[in-house]
Amino acid sequence: MTASGPPERRAGEGRQDDSPLIRAFFEKRENLILFLAARTRSMAAAEDLVQDLYLRLATQTPAAEVKSPVALLYRMAANLLVDQVRSDQRSSRRSAQWRIETRASLGGEDVVDETPADEALIARERVRQLAAAVADLPPQMGRAFRLHKLEGRSQAETAEAMGVSRKMVEAHIQAAVRQLSKRLRS
Amino acid sequence: MTSIAVHDDRTPDDGAMAEAGAWVARLQRSEVGEADGLAFEAWLDAAPGNRGAYRRAVAIWQEFEANAEAVLAELEPLAQPIPIRRKPVRGWWVGGAGVALAAGLAVAVAPALMVQPLTQTFVTGKGQHQHVKLADGSVIDLNAETRLSVTLTRGERKVVLGDGEAIFDVAADKARPFTVAAADHLVRVVGTQFDVRNRQGGLTVTVARGKVQVRPLTAAVAGRSFLLTPGERLAVAAGGAEELKAVDPQETFSWRAGRLVYRDQPLGEVVADLNRQFVDQIEIGDPELAKLPITGVIVLDDPRAVTQRLSLMLPVRSVPSDRGLVLLRK
Repeated sequence: MTASGPPERRAGEGRQDDSPLIRAFFEKRENLILFLAARTRSMAAAEDLVQDLYLRLATQTPAAEVKSPVALLYRMAANLLVDQVRSDQRSSRRSAQWRIETRASLGGEDVVDETPADEALIARERVRQLAAAVADLPPQMGRAFRLHKLEGRSQAETAEAMGVSRKMVEAHIQAAVRQLSKRLRS
Repeated sequence: MTSIAVHDDRTPDDGAMAEAGAWVARLQRSEVGEADGLAFEAWLDAAPGNRGAYRRAVAIWQEFEANAEAVLAELEPLAQPIPIRRKPVRGWWVGGAGVALAAGLAVAVAPALMVQPLTQTFVTGKGQHQHVKLADGSVIDLNAETRLSVTLTRGERKVVLGDGEAIFDVAADKARPFTVAAADHLVRVVGTQFDVRNRQGGLTVTVARGKVQVRPLTAAVAGRSFLLTPGERLAVAAGGAEELKAVDPQETFSWRAGRLVYRDQPLGEVVADLNRQFVDQIEIGDPELAKLPITGVIVLDDPRAVTQRLSLMLPVRSVPSDRGLVLLRK
């Protein structure tokens, strides 16, 4: 891997700090974003999380020498996933609900003024495509995808609701992602 | 050159797509860790098509995440109804355990009756954790040996925490403040994530998100009012001494993931924590030993393994007793 350039989205991040951990961070930044992206709503959200991780690195005084900087980076990234991402997603999903509800209560009139009508049309068509692709999944796979992905349950909760093992849920999700990516072009 | 801008536009082959799907699924596990990260890292560079395949899978995945509600609305309802939290919940009587109640009463209940508070009590024993979802979307994780009651009304959300510890992930609702009464103090929030621990008369409140107010429960209780922000922990000792300090909230929250994190904690307190997590009880054979400070992470898998790890951190050894184990000086 070649070292990547300075972080893209934000200016003002110095590289004068030459600690091995910071160096490893810049080298692995893109991979860390991809790692976190599996649990965020967008690439930008994953980049924000990686930015948080950088701030944590840059402000913490490292305890002695770090044996494996890359392992530590992934450990920190995983910790972000365990506690933060889930709850953030939950709250953002709640605010999405709120938006939907507000809109519905205004008598079906589209009040989202920043979205031009044709874009809204395209978005609606895309939602229909997404839904159709889910509806075409084999029943158990579709059910697992729905419970876990769309309703936001954990794999364990999905397994419980379906009466199957967690491993089975993961296998369904894997197959669903593969099938959906094949069918839908983003 | 930066590698970030490089996109692989070729259609990824089926094998790479299948592996990408497996990675997206694996990273949804609730216990994703460093090992997953390193394996993922290795996989990304293992074949030229992997990165592109993963980007594509993750883009679809995120698109569903961002459109989850809209896609659900478009889909037919599932044949077998499952109580879900998707519907905007207005009152306390819908969702979670309340669903059965609603199903039976919904039509007959007059609005006046709906405001009558429903109090639920949750109790955990040794080694038990409980994950509770409230009708308002808030989530409470109870640590072992914890007792708390929850009352949801239209105007407020009230928790009384007896002896114990819990993490609160509070759904934002400006109209209904969320309060936790514990050890002569009242913790008041709107929407946030925080941990309250009330053990042996000492109270600690640790905040991960949002703002939390902690004040004495009544005017008769001495003490000041605090406004805590993320990364702050307030400790009020049994004698009333208050201490505010900066902490990593995730360390405090780690018990939920089966880990206890300590910084210079006396062995006596660590053992008291462990004895709440396991039925097998640990005794300390020598009072001097109880004062030894511990710094480290204890994974709560099995009492024998835990004491074994303790003996690596400290000059102690363990011998079996009729209740469990006794720790002795090495």
